[in-house]
Amino acid sequence: MAKTYQYCVAENWGKGFIDHDESHRITFKGYPGNVWQVPAYNKHGNLWIAKVAGTVKTKDEAQAIVNAEVQAAQATWDAQTDEEKADPMNTRPSDITLEE
Amino acid sequence: MATYKQNVGTTVVNYAGNYPGAVEGELWYDSTNKDFKYQFSTAVGVWSSGGNVNTARINSGAAGTKSAALLFGGTPTTAKTESYNGTSWTEVNDLGTARYGVGGSGLQTAALAFGGTGNSALTELWSGTNWTEVNDLNTGRQQIKAGGTSTSTLAFSGWSPYFAVTESWNGTNWTEVNDLNEARYYAAGAGADNTEGLCFGGIDQPGGSKVANTESYNGTNWTEVNNLNATRQAFSGFGSATSALAFGNEPVSAATELWNGTNWTEVADLATARKELAGAGTSNAGGLAISGAAPSYTTATEEWSSTTNTVKTLTD
Repeated sequence: MAKTYQYCVAENWGKGFIDHDESHRITFKGYPGNVWQVPAYNKHGNLWIAKVAGTVKTKDEAQAIVNAEVQAAQATWDAQTDEEKADPMNTRPSDITLEE
Repeated sequence: MATYKQNVGTTVVNYAGNYPGAVEGELWYDSTNKDFKYQFSTAVGVWSSGGNVNTARINSGAAGTKSAALLFGGTPTTAKTESYNGTSWTEVNDLGTARYGVGGSGLQTAALAFGGTGNSALTELWSGTNWTEVNDLNTGRQQIKAGGTSTSTLAFSGWSPYFAVTESWNGTNWTEVNDLNEARYYAAGAGADNTEGLCFGGIDQPGGSKVANTESYNGTNWTEVNNLNATRQAFSGFGSATSALAFGNEPVSAATELWNGTNWTEVADLATARKELAGAGTSNAGGLAISGAAPSYTTATEEWSSTTNTVKTLTD
């Protein structure tokens, strides 16, 4: 099955990282670990990855990076006191499953 | 079959770049990029990257617009204030009192910070250079939401416990006015001055449930209007009572909704899903989503822009 998305790792430097025109043309999703999802087989996605000097990752490689970040956040949450965990705004970070 | 000239009244213009004289629906040839293009009107908005904040934080206050904003306070408990010039954030003079869950209104050069940690009633006025303490809120609270200017603000909702209390700032004093219909906290708010306001989402009382309820203030009373499409808490918003944006959620979400004065419509998502972020902007045409947790604290700022004239490239 042809993949729908491609992934890369790139650090968000701020203004200009995703510009207005790029956001108009394609949909970006950022994940923990500086993992970014853009459409696969797409000229604008490829141009953006080149612009941000992104390191292309397979979905499995990207998933491993995201998992490590989420597991670290979960371990931090698990180490909190019961009182801290009881804060309704402090829910345990959820697992994230990247799309093909 | 009719030709393009017969239908439109002109031949296809040959122009180097985006043709500035194009009218709605007109086609032209961009000789620089070798593309056929046309222009159409749209109110579709998108998020793009803004400058990263210097200190990542949650539960902070904010004021201003997409190109000139102020960020102050937050968790970890801080008094730090940063100023945005449309490109980058610069640290400026601190709040007099460090706190989180602080409310904000106004502009980059004239802002108001009120409430916060420990049910504070403290109000501070930003002159563009320094914070100065002014008259307190009547009801101290944190997670207070608001809209307005440094001389005319409406402040509402908050914790703890759940507050429906609404106060009006006239530039000198806070005066209690009619309550929200539904007490809540971790809501979001918008408003141009103390004669209007919009309160949306949050955690209600009784029940402690995440809600989608929206209320609009007309200068005298709050009225329930159409709900958000999704229940939200610990999110943010900006704008006025007739033109607002809502974004983020807990658990972390990128979902964004646009308020046109009557209904909420789902629009383009944030690039980075998050919660407990700040927002600044005066209408749904433009504004900022600032910092927050994704779920770790993020320095990311995103800029919302709603475009009215879009050039479509047909040969992409």
